[in-house]
Amino acid sequence: MDPMTVPVGNYVALSSVIFFIGVAGVLTRRNPLIMLMSIELMFNAANLLFMAFARVWVHNAGHIFAFLVIMVAAAEAAIGLAIVVTVFRSAKHVDVDDVALMKG
Amino acid sequence: MIGFWILAVVMLASSIWCITATRPVYSVVALLLHFAALAAMYLTLHAEFLAVIQLIVYSGAILILFLFVIALLSSGVAPFSVGPDRLPKILIPAVGLIAVALGFITYALSRTNALVTPGAAVGTNLGVTGEAGVFGSVADFGKALFTSYLLPFEITALILMVAVIGVILLAGDRTPYVSSRKQAGENRRDMREAVLRGGE
Amino acid sequence: MHHVMGVNGYYPYLLALWLLPLAGAIVCWAFGPQLKSLAGSLGSATVGASFVATMLAWHQGTQSLGTAVGAHQVLGSWMPGFDFGLLLDPLSLLWTSIITGVGFLIHVYSIGYMKGDNAFARFFAYMNFFVFAMLTLVLSDNFIGLLVGWGLVGLASYFLIGFWFHKPSAVAAARKAFVINVAGDVGIMMAIFIIVGSVHSIGFGDAFAYAGSYGTPWLFAICLCLFIGAAAKSAQIPLHTWLPDAMEGPTPVSALIHAATMVTAGVYLVARCAPLWSQNGNAQMLVATIGGLTALVGAILGMAQWDIKRILAYSTMSQIGYMIMGVGVGAYEGGVAHFFTHAFFKAQLFLGSGIIIHALSNEQDVRRMGGLRTKMPFAFVAMGTGVLAIMGIPGFSGFFSKDQVIYGALAHGYPWLYALGIVTAGITAYYMCRMFFVTFFGTYRGDVDPSKLGIRHPELAGTPHGAAHHEDHSGTNWFLTIPVAILIIPTIFSGWLMFGGEGSPWARFFAQQFPHPALAAPGISEGATAMITLAVVLVGIAIAYVRYASAGALSGAVERLRDESIKMPGVLANAFYFDAALDVLFVRTSTILGTAFSRFVDPHLIDGAVRETAVSANWLGALVRSLQTGLLRAYALFLVFGVACFVIYYAVVAAGAH
Repeated sequence: MDPMTVPVGNYVALSSVIFFIGVAGVLTRRNPLIMLMSIELMFNAANLLFMAFARVWVHNAGHIFAFLVIMVAAAEAAIGLAIVVTVFRSAKHVDVDDVALMKG
Repeated sequence: MIGFWILAVVMLASSIWCITATRPVYSVVALLLHFAALAAMYLTLHAEFLAVIQLIVYSGAILILFLFVIALLSSGVAPFSVGPDRLPKILIPAVGLIAVALGFITYALSRTNALVTPGAAVGTNLGVTGEAGVFGSVADFGKALFTSYLLPFEITALILMVAVIGVILLAGDRTPYVSSRKQAGENRRDMREAVLRGGE
Repeated sequence: MHHVMGVNGYYPYLLALWLLPLAGAIVCWAFGPQLKSLAGSLGSATVGASFVATMLAWHQGTQSLGTAVGAHQVLGSWMPGFDFGLLLDPLSLLWTSIITGVGFLIHVYSIGYMKGDNAFARFFAYMNFFVFAMLTLVLSDNFIGLLVGWGLVGLASYFLIGFWFHKPSAVAAARKAFVINVAGDVGIMMAIFIIVGSVHSIGFGDAFAYAGSYGTPWLFAICLCLFIGAAAKSAQIPLHTWLPDAMEGPTPVSALIHAATMVTAGVYLVARCAPLWSQNGNAQMLVATIGGLTALVGAILGMAQWDIKRILAYSTMSQIGYMIMGVGVGAYEGGVAHFFTHAFFKAQLFLGSGIIIHALSNEQDVRRMGGLRTKMPFAFVAMGTGVLAIMGIPGFSGFFSKDQVIYGALAHGYPWLYALGIVTAGITAYYMCRMFFVTFFGTYRGDVDPSKLGIRHPELAGTPHGAAHHEDHSGTNWFLTIPVAILIIPTIFSGWLMFGGEGSPWARFFAQQFPHPALAAPGISEGATAMITLAVVLVGIAIAYVRYASAGALSGAVERLRDESIKMPGVLANAFYFDAALDVLFVRTSTILGTAFSRFVDPHLIDGAVRETAVSANWLGALVRSLQTGLLRAYALFLVFGVACFVIYYAVVAAGAH
């Protein structure tokens, strides 16, 4: 196999940047769907890191774990969307700031 | 190397577009682009199976699900309009935190580049693509998944089943199932009226 | 079992002697309404039984004079060093005899005096309780038992002074007595603290055995604190103001408590702690001086009183001053001897005055008496013997004991107190004869208009009995007369026990009890002292005779009495302004302090502290509650903040350590 020409630090940097872009999306946007998509961004950033280090050590445990992450992310996205649908089915605006019943 | 940089730029741009898009459908499209670039990057990392899985599951299933939900929630009047921001000040500390974290990551990276020495472990897994034992191949992945990591795989199946049940319980239709031709006729009448109404 | 001052005998009836009056008190308290008039007999019987037990012990005790005699009974032990017990040595035996003997006679007298009173049984319950408390005081072998008895007699005094509690002046007097007594209790407590701190024991034996090891300042402090208690209980200056007001109680109470027994508790205390006092000359000087001053002041104030019981109250104060002076200078036998004789003649005087008061329907002002020599001859004779004894006429009991005190002052090196004692003896003679002459000589003035006699508030004269009291003065009340008649004998003859100097029965009885330091022979002999005292007394009698009993005085009695009442100097009428001084010093300051506390400290500091605790808890809660915005994104922010902390930690601290 050809040696890894891209230093692994690049992947680490890219992964972390995408992760924190996702964090910014979660904190900033008020649309629950966008928030869930930002969470997916975070998942994928982590996956990228797994794959990079799997390549570094030439071991497929990273692949396995990334696969499991994808599965769990699918399940979580499904349930999250179901919750969003339930809460905002009859709402006028889809704004997550309106769901503040736990105040106080 | 070039490939990495191009893909990295695409990924960054699409992720930024995703979180800043005005309409949710634009965010979905941006995310789709992001996932495509990510799959390409997986390919550069010799992870063919995972690249395809990424495309099929993530962009093919999850993003479609997002689109369905957007469609469902669009039935209201201007559902995704932006109301008064009740937490305007969150931007400042949020950005600050992110900046700080990014800074620390970069700082940590600059100090630990000697931690990982890539490329030294060139093992015996090299071979023609398609054979078991080739790193990143389907056979290699499948063999690992069904032998060493069988339990997590089964549990993942369980998790998916639980997710399905949960979704049905949360958002499912609550009306009882009436199995009769009369009910079927009524169902058809309801659907016709809904379509006619939808056209107004 | 440690031997308290060498006494380790056993007397089987000691516990019975101590506890019988308590049993009587409890029965009278509990079954008062059922007992009705039987309570009187019951109360007298219990005290009489205690007296019999005491006499039996006396018989045992006097069998072997010259050795340390008595009995010791251990009651229990709380901690090492805190052993409680009863001690019957010559000193406590003497006090017990007086308490139970004179007490028994006064109980019998009370059956007659309090007849018809609504709260007859309650009276005897209180009287028995007092006897029990006083016995606790004198029979304890440790300071804490003494303190318990001390407090309980104060309580009994409060009960009995305020016995007719529907009378506001009685209640006020009871409260005044109790408060001043409590001040004394604090003094004794302080002394006990110092003693326990030094010796780690409360027993008399231990405290006195280490008398030399306290160090002079601590020893003086102990003696000072003990004397504060003694001064409060025995009505010495400046804590004497409660005693004249204590005459609001019934006359038997005045006789028993405020003449014969309770007020002598201070004398008992000083005599008991003789080993402590004899080590410290400053303490002795303090005690003796206060005693002498009290004797003088009491006598001077006795000259200015018109209420027969108040005259006797100031005379009590003065005579106790003599006793305190006696034990203060170190003449312990003399002071104790004067207690012994004083108990008899003062009880005699009070009970006799009670007969007069009872017969005159509660009239106590001597200005409205007069000429009772022919109307009430028995009272005349009884009070006559008492007056002769108190003046110290040779042959009567007071002569021997007072002489011992005065001569003792000179022998122990206090010549000014010697002179003071002689002068006071003269003044005593004057005012006692004044009382005697105004009451018994001349013509009866009960029908004269009170304002002509100089009485300003006639409605305040006399003390009403409880409601539903039927006055029945026809016929002789044997309960009143027999105890008084019995008391005539010791009033006259009890002094002869002290006759004979070192060889007298009295001296031999107390040979082992008190320290006897070697004394230089004073310039004036004892016989010469007796002569000088007698001369001064005769001068006093002569002056009183001229003013009140001569032919000229008797004919113009009403005008003379009115003149004297109007021209009484304010200083004397207000008792040297002691009451006013104490009021300003203590009562006003306490009131101001209390008001300040209730206006400022209580609502702002104490309530404020509690309130602020609640307020700050609320504020803290509100602060934390403000984090619970309910907004999803805020919670997400906190999550991210936590993650950032973790990342920083692992990036800097954990990784940087390598």
